[in-house]
Amino acid sequence: MNGPRDRRKGLILGGTCELALALASRLIEKGFFPVLTWRNPDGCGKIDAALAKLSGRYETGRFSLDDPLSLETLFAGEPGFDFLVDFAQGDYEALVASADEDRIPAYFSENVVARAILLKRLTREMLRLKQGRLIYISSSAAERPAPGHGFYAAAKLAAEALYRNCGLELAGKGITSVILRAGYVKAGRGYAFLEANPEIIRQVPLRRALEADEVAETILFLLSPAAVGINATILTLDGGLSAAKTGTTKH
Amino acid sequence: MDILKTLCEIIMEIMDVEGQTITAETYLVRELGAESIDLLELSVSINHHFHIAVKDDDIFLRNFRLFLVEAERLEKEPTSYLQERFPFLSAERIMEILTDLETGPAIKIKDLVSYIAFQRKG
Repeated sequence: MNGPRDRRKGLILGGTCELALALASRLIEKGFFPVLTWRNPDGCGKIDAALAKLSGRYETGRFSLDDPLSLETLFAGEPGFDFLVDFAQGDYEALVASADEDRIPAYFSENVVARAILLKRLTREMLRLKQGRLIYISSSAAERPAPGHGFYAAAKLAAEALYRNCGLELAGKGITSVILRAGYVKAGRGYAFLEANPEIIRQVPLRRALEADEVAETILFLLSPAAVGINATILTLDGGLSAAKTGTTKH
Repeated sequence: MDILKTLCEIIMEIMDVEGQTITAETYLVRELGAESIDLLELSVSINHHFHIAVKDDDIFLRNFRLFLVEAERLEKEPTSYLQERFPFLSAERIMEILTDLETGPAIKIKDLVSYIAFQRKG
């Protein structure tokens, strides 16, 4: 196959979430070397506990979008991330008209501005390697937000645009991007939501939520040389939910 | 390290300039046809080879015209105003650029050399 060489070392932002841990296990099995980021020592412990049997085949590092110093630390060592999978996302649920005005700039500074700076730094490193793959884990809420998700959706859409443009601008230099909008997944906050709202699954044509391992497999494919043509675009992984008009999946 | 020699090697590697002679007086955009993606690669490469921080807007004189307009609006003397913004350029070079702006992007290889030397001095 004429494609970029296999990508080996990857940065996993938001490395403590269940999806990231599922992905890290699969990556290690496939011979990749993931570097998972955490925001606090509890998160570091969570990663080490989940990947205990795979010790030495991954690294962890503190990184927080709201801490510029942690960005410096992340890039202080030997450069050379072949790929990035970005799960990091702060949550702020509020009706737009009732939002705390002090939180709005901080939320966008963390989730959009800091991410743009990170992408600038990372893609410049990748330009030196003349290859790189960027995968942004977005959400179907970016396209179909519920009341209270306005800030979350706005930050996701802005981040999607940044990732898309990286692929648009740098593909000729070997750096491509793809955005994956995940729907209902039995992991993390999604799991708690599904437990509280089991009837929601009836709206999904697939009639079930996705498992974390299924999402991890999809990401593995997107990291493979075979998926290089999937660039600067958005893929939706929601079992068909966004294709259907609400209440029309029965017939 | 000979900055000009290394810089020319970097440019030869990045851009399709086979058969062209590159000197300090060569125009980066007008003669070599550098596009934005070439400038980005050049910036990354300069950062790597010379171990200096590179601010793309500065090294490629991106806001030169904007600052010129700003100087006029503030009724400041253009050369000294521009030299404050681009401290790596000499007053003579700024005056030279001012007379050369109408013909297109005036940036030359020697401007990059000046930037690198300035940054290396710290």
